[in-house]
Amino acid sequence: MATKKSMTRSALPDYPAEITVDPRTLEYSPEQLVRFYDVMRLTRTFEEKLAALYRQGKMLGAVYLGTGQEAISIGCASLLEEGDLFSTVSRNLSAWFYRGVKPEHVLARWFGKDVPPSSGRELGLFLADMDRYGLAPFHNGSMASWIPSGAGYALTFKLRKKPNIYLAFTGDGATSPGDFYEGMNFAAIHKLPLVVIAEMNYYAYSTPVEKQMPVENIADRAAAFNIYSEIAYGNDLFSVIAAARRGIDHARNGGGPALIEFKTFRRRGHGEHDDGGYVPAEFRKFWELRDPIDMYRRWLLERAGIDVSRLAQCDSDAIAEVEAAVEYAEAAPFPDPATVSDRLFAPSSCDPGPDTGETVFEPLQQIAIPVLTSGQEDRGGGHF
Amino acid sequence: MANATYLQAISMALREEMRRDPAVFLLGEDIGVFGGAFKITQGFLEEFGPDRVIDTPISESGFVGAACAAATAGMRPVVEFQFIDFIACAFDQIVNYAAKCYYRWGIQVPVVFRGPAGGGIHAGPYHSQNPEAWFAHTPGLKVVLPSTATDAKGLLTAAIRDNNPVIYLENKFLYRHQREEVPVGEHITPIGVAALRTIGRDLSIISYGAMVHHSVQAARKLAGEGASVEVLDLRSLVPLDRAAVLRSVKKTSRALIVHEANITAGFGAEVAALIAQEAFDYLDAPVKRVASLDLPVPFSPPLEQAMLPSVDKILTAARELLAY
Repeated sequence: MATKKSMTRSALPDYPAEITVDPRTLEYSPEQLVRFYDVMRLTRTFEEKLAALYRQGKMLGAVYLGTGQEAISIGCASLLEEGDLFSTVSRNLSAWFYRGVKPEHVLARWFGKDVPPSSGRELGLFLADMDRYGLAPFHNGSMASWIPSGAGYALTFKLRKKPNIYLAFTGDGATSPGDFYEGMNFAAIHKLPLVVIAEMNYYAYSTPVEKQMPVENIADRAAAFNIYSEIAYGNDLFSVIAAARRGIDHARNGGGPALIEFKTFRRRGHGEHDDGGYVPAEFRKFWELRDPIDMYRRWLLERAGIDVSRLAQCDSDAIAEVEAAVEYAEAAPFPDPATVSDRLFAPSSCDPGPDTGETVFEPLQQIAIPVLTSGQEDRGGGHF
Repeated sequence: MANATYLQAISMALREEMRRDPAVFLLGEDIGVFGGAFKITQGFLEEFGPDRVIDTPISESGFVGAACAAATAGMRPVVEFQFIDFIACAFDQIVNYAAKCYYRWGIQVPVVFRGPAGGGIHAGPYHSQNPEAWFAHTPGLKVVLPSTATDAKGLLTAAIRDNNPVIYLENKFLYRHQREEVPVGEHITPIGVAALRTIGRDLSIISYGAMVHHSVQAARKLAGEGASVEVLDLRSLVPLDRAAVLRSVKKTSRALIVHEANITAGFGAEVAALIAQEAFDYLDAPVKRVASLDLPVPFSPPLEQAMLPSVDKILTAARELLAY
């Protein structure tokens, strides 16, 4: 129901339905500009295929898409440097593709196939591969668990005196759990290079932002940590890049954490089982007119002088790559059930050898048992 | 050898591992300037500096999450819980992140979670618990509980060098009450290897942690009554030294399991099931357990003693088994 109240609160912002930046003020080569488009298009095509496969009953488990939020993931991922680490949530597939993860690999994982590093042990949506992509592990227990994690990676950079940052994607709903505050608090106290990219897409599953937050903006929460924060338009690739760059520079230069909020909209439901019927039509329409890929394509053609044939090539390449990914994933083998118990514990230098057939005998040198008055004697300045 | 308390042995292991490996660092509440609520890290801030001895805000999930992530990036954090009861506040990061990373992606999480467990010193419901079963039930975590100063040092050294998350549960009564000759320099007690504390023929008492002391006391008393009782200290619950349990029970044909945590779904149930499945034919009596009542740990001394296991409760159960 598109009530006035919810529209005010969700503050239909004055964001234009076009990218306005003058291309002459940017430092990007035409190749780089096309690359942004290429990854956007690949992601959208891939996610459309995921949705189609889901409807055909070909997907294992659930499918979560980031449709409409691609500019944020790509813009932020484009700013990562050698040695930086980042983590994603379910709306950031385009960041993976930008960093070089192959669609065929993602899809094979989604099909439960035997591909590294999970070999069928984890959903396609959950990938961690720090060495190849800088992609750090996260879990989906607490929906803010990756904020303390981010603080830990940022702490490691600080302890090792590395010039790196940790970038954590998150969403509005995930700023409510305690872990968000505990992680931000720790990072702020120690001035750690943690950059949190908070995507305000206005819904956590079906629950609108009004029922999640007593403040209007995620960035309003930054005051509690006394950290750098900013709010920017998430569907304009260059607005994303500019704001994210300021946050990253701040963190990389020793200024401590940054919380950058991007206003955007989750075009699909929480998962593909969800038709998103709870979104007011007017609100949906507003954001559909501001689709980040449509806006960027128009800007490339009308403002940046990119030839339509180059973009058409990207479009057809994306379709071909996704079709090839489906073929690859379908053909890939399932893991061998005999391997199910493999890799629970990592081998360690202190692991015992095989059982010797005899148990060691190590008698107690002294017996210690509490009595009724225990806990009342000298404690050496400590508790109990 | 050096004469040391259980608490000093823990400090020794931490200090030696921090000197040996620069990746080892500590996080916890009041561990720096104050040296820890129990003074385990007294002097550490001066020796290792604030980067390696980090006083955290009161936010267990936050600093545990940070520690786990640092571990996946090649550090070896040791997290102190001021009381192990507060590990509940960090449960999600431990069971959903630390325990699963290696299985999910082959990413190692070499982190140690340590802190004082156990009752008997009138600390009340939130400062006396024994949470080992919560973690033994979670695949991917190792769980160890030293009963002596020597093992406190050896198991902590092994835990810090282990490439997996290890829950290291200290008994706070033993901190200042258990004292013995502890090896100087590198000392390792491998994780997953049990030890006999007494050797006997008639009954196996299988225990761990503080209750090993009660069990040995009971065994000595029973020796005076003509019974030969073997006390097996598991030391490690995950991995469990199944061979040592079965070897002892097959020899004595009678098994009594003793732990301080409450009885229902306690780790003793797992040991009892192992014996029932693998050594049934050797048994001359039912398997028995002595453990705490299924209650929060009460504060007042007579209530606390009524709730906890005791030497007398062990003796009663042992005599029933010996007479069976």
